Amino acid sequence: MAIINQATKELQVKIVYYGPAMGGKTTNLVQVHDHVQTAAGNKGKLVSLATSSDRTLFFDFLPIEAMSIKGFKAKFQLYTVPGQVIYNTTRQLVLRGVDGIVFVADSQYEKMAENVESFANLEDNLKTLRLNFAEIPYVLQYNKRDLPNVAPVEYLEFLLNNRDVQVPSFGATAHRCEGVFETLNMITRMLLHKYVSQSTPQYA
Amino acid sequence: MASLPQLIEEDIERLEGELRDLLEKSDATTALIIDKGGFLITGQGDTRQFDLTTIAALASGAYMANQTIANLVHETSFNSIYQQGEKFSMFVMGVDENGLLVVIFKAQVSVGAVKYFAAPTVKRIAVQLQIAQERDPGVGLDLSELNLADPSEVFKRKT
Repeated sequence: MAIINQATKELQVKIVYYGPAMGGKTTNLVQVHDHVQTAAGNKGKLVSLATSSDRTLFFDFLPIEAMSIKGFKAKFQLYTVPGQVIYNTTRQLVLRGVDGIVFVADSQYEKMAENVESFANLEDNLKTLRLNFAEIPYVLQYNKRDLPNVAPVEYLEFLLNNRDVQVPSFGATAHRCEGVFETLNMITRMLLHKYVSQSTPQYA
Repeated sequence: MASLPQLIEEDIERLEGELRDLLEKSDATTALIIDKGGFLITGQGDTRQFDLTTIAALASGAYMANQTIANLVHETSFNSIYQQGEKFSMFVMGVDENGLLVVIFKAQVSVGAVKYFAAPTVKRIAVQLQIAQERDPGVGLDLSELNLADPSEVFKRKT
């Protein structure tokens, strides 16, 4: 859950990129790290705990201080999880304290089963952590749209965005930075909206 | 109203006072309070020579991973990890369900002293965090001052 530090007027928010193995989660963070426009010192180092073959072992981590919003300091911490099925315990650890989720799906036809399995795994892990999926803002990113064997967006929507409340979704080609910032900005805005509505005094 | 964990100046002053007290007694270099989600809450001591944001993220991950390993070998009393270095060492201790204390100290400083003084410190930190948790959340920040109608993007891509 986000940390609000009234002494320093900071809001700290944790966003986790989730999805099947090799779907492009780390690529999203790399692109944000390489292309984000920030004031000097507001972008931290991209830390990757990866295997020798560049597969995420524990997580990737990128801290960014967003552009000042009305003088308010909003610090975002972006994480990825390892997508490989065997690392489920690690995914649960990274999900702890999550505020928002970007689910990065692989658009290729042959990856549909893995997409669905990973999404179900996300729901299971949130339940294990006693988190209510309905209360956590999330967006979908359909990555790898540049490949020839991709499923239509409508099919991905049917498989992954077919709940009571549909969430925003974006086509992306993360390695070209297409759709990366659109996705990040949407989850950010959803998160800030959530906290604003929660912080407005409720009157009977 | 959501029960966001909100820390007011009084909380931060007391927490920082506890950290300064610990540093003085133990001769450690830097002390941090972080949460298990990886956020840095506050720190004292030498906070310039280390990347504290990244340390917070990694220390919480290391603590949680070690706790899981401890559970796998049927250890139920796990509450700290110690990383022994040649220049600096690090001690991480659980504060409560959500918080961790991180102490960075020079290798020649006794880990025993750090552990000895950290134990009562975490109890006092836990008390203060509990006070903050139970405080009327209505006194927190008014985030409605954020102008979300502003059409500009929060994150911009370099052109």
